[in-house]
Amino acid sequence: MHELSIALAMADELARIAGENNSGKVLHVTLKIGSLSGIVADSLRFAFDAVKLENPLLSSAEVTIEEIPLVYQCGDCRKTFSSDDMYFPTCPQCESVALKIVSGEEQHIANVELEV
Amino acid sequence: MCNTCGCDQKESKTVAVHQSLLKANEETAADNRRHFEEKGIFAVNLISSPGSGKTTLLEKTIDVLKDEISIGVLEGDIETELDAERIRAKGVPAVQLTTGGACHLESSLIHKGFHSLEHQLEGKKLDILFIENVGNLVCPSFFDLGEQVRVVLISVPEGHDKPLKYPKAIRTSQVLVLSKCDLIDHFDFDIDKTKQDALAMNPLLKIYVTSATTGEGIDQWVEFLRSKLTSGFKESRGEGGE
Repeated sequence: MHELSIALAMADELARIAGENNSGKVLHVTLKIGSLSGIVADSLRFAFDAVKLENPLLSSAEVTIEEIPLVYQCGDCRKTFSSDDMYFPTCPQCESVALKIVSGEEQHIANVELEV
Repeated sequence: MCNTCGCDQKESKTVAVHQSLLKANEETAADNRRHFEEKGIFAVNLISSPGSGKTTLLEKTIDVLKDEISIGVLEGDIETELDAERIRAKGVPAVQLTTGGACHLESSLIHKGFHSLEHQLEGKKLDILFIENVGNLVCPSFFDLGEQVRVVLISVPEGHDKPLKYPKAIRTSQVLVLSKCDLIDHFDFDIDKTKQDALAMNPLLKIYVTSATTGEGIDQWVEFLRSKLTSGFKESRGEGGE
């Protein structure tokens, strides 16, 4: 359900970016969505497809979603590793649980292709 | 018109932005937070499933604190004034924010609601602003409102699997209140497991085991609020509200 609010916020941001660049049409958007962000890529796509129909600026915008895997860095031995475990990850090298999330929380617009 | 040389074809350019999808909400939340800090108001955002006891926790908190400090409440719901009426019945100013269908509050609604609350206060200073979010354990965790502390409630009847099922609510909060703990004998709810799972995801989380019916844990929860009011609260927000 939050994906609809996020799609609406995304439409507002795209309109602002298009305005700043004197463009009347958004052609393509690339998003980075982390696996830990809680955003379901298919739901966001579905919601944005509904939102863009009402907005001539966005009606032909294509969306690419880059899903960013969860990557941790160990606070003890500094090893960086990816893992699907979002609850109780341990370092594969030294078994430490003092881990920092390096990536996987992204909910970003990376770039926008505009007609000029 | 010209299909030969492409002279009337539009060109495109790619702009690198690298900004949050929720930038507008985050900017307004930062404005709200600055505003609350300038006025010395400690803002608390309560999130939970519907029926976990957010309004009841507020009522009990108000009973203990209302002669000591000045409290204001923003009540978020999809419809009705029911919760704001419960708070006003305690003699505390409350503004009902009805989202008309949206399953969470956003920072722009807090901005409007706070101004309307200020109007009711007629110049009286607030110490604590409680924001009761729409009952939902998913979407409110995405939207920073400008609070200093986010508090998530999980009630005993909901089951001890909730931290694992709703990790974002746990990760983005600074306090977990386990509510309705007087019902522990009637449900298969493991308090230790709940604490362990929640702390594994968020080691800095403060946890209060409470019952509004028996009063268990309410003093500790209220003491936490008092400590924030006296120690200054600008650093109290950890990873919350991404």
